[in-house]
Amino acid sequence: MDKLAKRLRDDAEQIDVFISPEMDERLRASLTGIRPEPETAPAKALRPFSWWWGSSLTGVAAAMVVLAVVNLQAPAPVPAITEPAYEPFAMPSIPWRAETALLTSPLEQEFEDLQSDIRKAEEALRQELDAIF
Amino acid sequence: MISELAQIEAAKKGSVEAFTSLVNGYRPGLLRFLVTRTSTYADAEDALQDTLINAYRYLHSYDSRWRFSTWLYRIAVNNAANIRRDDTVELGDLGSEERGPLEHCVAAADRENLWLSARSLLSDEAYAAMWLRYVEDMSVKDISAVLERSVSWTKVNLLRARRLLEAKLSNETGGSPMKSENSEAHG
Repeated sequence: MDKLAKRLRDDAEQIDVFISPEMDERLRASLTGIRPEPETAPAKALRPFSWWWGSSLTGVAAAMVVLAVVNLQAPAPVPAITEPAYEPFAMPSIPWRAETALLTSPLEQEFEDLQSDIRKAEEALRQELDAIF
Repeated sequence: MISELAQIEAAKKGSVEAFTSLVNGYRPGLLRFLVTRTSTYADAEDALQDTLINAYRYLHSYDSRWRFSTWLYRIAVNNAANIRRDDTVELGDLGSEERGPLEHCVAAADRENLWLSARSLLSDEAYAAMWLRYVEDMSVKDISAVLERSVSWTKVNLLRARRLLEAKLSNETGGSPMKSENSEAHG
């Protein structure tokens, strides 16, 4: 047992409590006045055989009605467009004079460093927790 | 000697004697815990009474895969929280002239009780976790069941609480930061 655990245990024992006879009596009187609640089993659903047939047939009928309604309300097919809607546009070639900027490189490095720090911290915490508990 | 399970079965059938004998051993520990969680000694006694009455009434819901004390403490934590919710005084706000039950119960000690410091340093749940771990010797899994928290949450909060109390102790002794045997072994 380490020092902190020993100190906590010792200090808890220093907390002086006393169950008085009055409290004992009061508790006993309260307990006598009540009964433990009985264990309640989950109620089983007992339904007649015809009920299951009835509900199955109702389900099938409802599905058929939905199918019929969906098919009757189907939209008319859209005619296909044969002519192109636009003329192809030739993009003029522009002589850009640009160089690739390496702006993201330091940030990526920083991000990797942070990830590495997090992994190290997680590992240290995991080892500490495993060692104590 | 009748086993705990036999006493539970008898109590389930309505035997007050069996229930009383079952919980007798747990009562001082529970009251000690509740004294640290309430603002008056009477509140702690009420919380203990409510805990035992609820335990008796709902004994059918006890799952024997868990320790009986784990289940009792689960109820006690809830009752203490309910009583404190109705209370207008915050435990941390009790001044020196307005001493709480814990201060009264440790008044005779020659040094400051660490649980008094813990009450001002730790959150309610971290405090309860530390108590269950170091006074009741509960496993982390049992503590997480009592507090209805994940095992990871419990471990991390126990570790944080330990660090805070270790710092408090090292300040008290005026020495170097105290380390646990385990962490020394690890480090």
